[in-house]
Amino acid sequence: MNIALIGNPNSGKTTLYNELTGAKQSVGNWPGVTVEKKVGKLKSKNIDANIVDLPGIYSLSTISLEEEVSSNYIMDKEMDLIINIVDASSLERNLFLTYQLLDSDIPIIVALNGMDIIDKNKEVIDHKALSIALDLPVIPISASKKIGIEDLISAIESFDLSKKRKQISYNKQIEEVISLINEYIEDRFLSIRFFEDGLVALDHASVPEEKQPELIELYHSIKGRFTLDIDMIMPDARYNKIINLIDKFYNKNDLLKITTTDKIDKVLTHKYLGIPIFLGIMFGVFFLAFGPLGTFITVQFVWLIDQFFILIINGIAQLGMSPYISSLITKGIFGGLAAVVGFLPQLMILFLAMAILEDSGYMSRAAFIMDRALRKFGLSGKSFIPMLIGFGCSVPAISATRTLDKDEDRKITAMIIPFVSCGAKAPIYGVFAGALFSNGSYIVVFSMYIIGIMVAILSAILFKKTIFKSASANYIMELPQYRRPTLKNTWLHTWERSKDFLIKAGTILLAAFIIIWFLSYFGIVGGKITLLSDDEISKSFLGYIGKIILPVFRPIGFNDWRATVAILSGFVAKESVVGTLGILYGVSGDVVENGSALYPSIRAAFTPLQAYSFMLFALLAIPCIAAVSALKRELNSNKWFYFTLAYELVVAYLIAMAVFQVGSLDSGTILTILFTAIIVVFVFFMIKKFIKQKGSACASCDEFGSCSLPQKIKYLDKKGENTNEE
Amino acid sequence: MTLQDINPGEYCIVKKIRGNNLRKRIIDMGLITGTKVYVKKTAPLGDPVEIIVRGYSLTLRKAEARTIQVERVDK
Ligand SMILES: Nc1nc2c(ncn2[C@@H]2O[C@H](COP(=O)(O)OP(=O)(O)OP(=O)(O)O)[C@@H](O)[C@H]2O)c(=O)[nH]1
Ligand SMILES: [Mg+2]
Repeated sequence: MNIALIGNPNSGKTTLYNELTGAKQSVGNWPGVTVEKKVGKLKSKNIDANIVDLPGIYSLSTISLEEEVSSNYIMDKEMDLIINIVDASSLERNLFLTYQLLDSDIPIIVALNGMDIIDKNKEVIDHKALSIALDLPVIPISASKKIGIEDLISAIESFDLSKKRKQISYNKQIEEVISLINEYIEDRFLSIRFFEDGLVALDHASVPEEKQPELIELYHSIKGRFTLDIDMIMPDARYNKIINLIDKFYNKNDLLKITTTDKIDKVLTHKYLGIPIFLGIMFGVFFLAFGPLGTFITVQFVWLIDQFFILIINGIAQLGMSPYISSLITKGIFGGLAAVVGFLPQLMILFLAMAILEDSGYMSRAAFIMDRALRKFGLSGKSFIPMLIGFGCSVPAISATRTLDKDEDRKITAMIIPFVSCGAKAPIYGVFAGALFSNGSYIVVFSMYIIGIMVAILSAILFKKTIFKSASANYIMELPQYRRPTLKNTWLHTWERSKDFLIKAGTILLAAFIIIWFLSYFGIVGGKITLLSDDEISKSFLGYIGKIILPVFRPIGFNDWRATVAILSGFVAKESVVGTLGILYGVSGDVVENGSALYPSIRAAFTPLQAYSFMLFALLAIPCIAAVSALKRELNSNKWFYFTLAYELVVAYLIAMAVFQVGSLDSGTILTILFTAIIVVFVFFMIKKFIKQKGSACASCDEFGSCSLPQKIKYLDKKGENTNEE
Repeated sequence: MTLQDINPGEYCIVKKIRGNNLRKRIIDMGLITGTKVYVKKTAPLGDPVEIIVRGYSLTLRKAEARTIQVERVDK
């Protein structure tokens, strides 16, 4: 048996899914967390059922890719039973979808979620009466507080699938129209969908080609029968029914005028304070992770790891194993792993801060605040949410672009996300900033994040100006109530991401380190493959490869083949850059190398400028292999995929080169160049302004937004001119 | 008069919605002829606007707000 969880975005579907199946899918307090279908087994001794978690939808008429997944799933009736999650704290809007579902003959159980909030506000919902009125089981639950889950499971187990539900009937006028359409489309549900959506609904019905003109004719004749616009008729009828129900069964507490959310929003989305607070929060997060506190914790943690590894290494020395093995363990495995794992505390601080932002409800506010700014680049405030997620990891961030409703802004957003500095790049900055920029290290790190965002935004502008000229994203978004992040959720988020990091360290990275160790400690000496000693490492295989590629990297400041090799290893996973540095530079005496112990060798091998250029290139160049495959999936076109990779590589190279070359000049030359550049830019803009004034045929575009293409051309065309009329 | 002309802190009632990209979504989210709307605030950069409709908080751009014809009411 297939049971689908259907409900509004942010109504608690995934929270419930996790309770019903024991899974640990990601939950967050903003609409659009889940972007794809997830299937799990119901925890029940009595029946064997699959629970399907789907992206949230407000209505069966969809506007974005991820919504289509859910609505198609319903229209094609792929489930045996729907659990309709209804968020009790915005009952009116949530029941709208319920009423759309009620038009179908799919069996439904309503799970009235968030009852803890209703209780807290001293309100009452008569769920029994509601159940009778709708003729289906209504189970009050609180998914996050684990209340009522047992009741829901037993309601599922005892549900009689063969029982027919009482049909929702509308007024005479509407019923007449439905029966007219019914002559072409047999199914009542699909007839109503056609009435509401026009021809898009026919994707799911089988109407013979030759009958379609008649049907369209009918559709247009229906329009004249009503005073309301045709696409408002069904919603109006439903909302009237809903208001009736609510009047009868929902005892609201009218004393609740100013909610906590209002109070918090007074400050966080304040006219003048809103943006400074947003920037302050972002800076605060990085200051916490990379400032004095984060560094202090890291140093302690690294010391612990040191002690642990020294213990093991001494043990190995006593066993008297062959030099190969002890070299592999001390230099390959420990050298690489210790360098990476040392950064766990800082990453955990970063992940923790991200989790709090995600669970509190601030994400949607950030989108709300930034929409105006992002619109210029053809994006919407909603694009900002994937970008913020990108600070954690690019892979989920790239998938999150599915919540955007237009192809262009989806593509642009996915293409610029790799520039946003992900958590895995943090150790790279940690090593270099820690070694070379002691006092202002967190400022250097913060500058990386800022540059990442700037390059992302500038790229968006470039794409909008050149390839995606028609890009103009829509924006409409619900602001959820703030919630105090629960300890469990926050910890789960932080832990899941930290665990990913550790698992990666123990699997892919470990394998990569062993390969890198082999390639860097073996070389051909006198026609034979031999284990090299520390000062012969430049004769290794990797040494040869690195030296061949080195000339390419000289213009951006690399003059050591080891730096090139480390950068290239970042393709496997960004963490391996530091690990590789650990293996390759970890040869200067001490047995154990790690984050802080790497400092002396880094100081010897890099100037601050070279280090900065190295960090820039690591920040901007092609992302890791996991993100690359996510890009390939979301862009869904080889052309754009390869373009993105090439573009990112070129941009990284040019920027790192510019910084290195300019930084190497003396100050007089820099001033000369700066002055020339300003003049050139000034002249350029003057000429552009002049040209624009001459030929501005479309000056009114921005004002009325009428030049943007309608978002669902198919939808509008098939529906006729109705939606465009005055 | 359109939704854009209503100042934060004021109430209005929806009269008509002209064509726009998000028309159907706006309707489904509960803005229908006769619905009462409270305009709560505008974003720090002046756009989008936040409104309270059917007991929840919805944000939309002025471009769409302009296509929603309304009538101002007190409370
Ligand atoms: N107070 C309260 N909060 C809840 C309850 N159920 C879920 N939440 C919170 O609601 C938010 C949204 O939960 P999710 O499970 O991610 O919602 P979803 O329906 O899967 O959302 P999308 O995937 O975006 O469609 C989270 O912050 C949850 O912690 C509940 O019963 N009571
Ligand atoms: Mg979800």
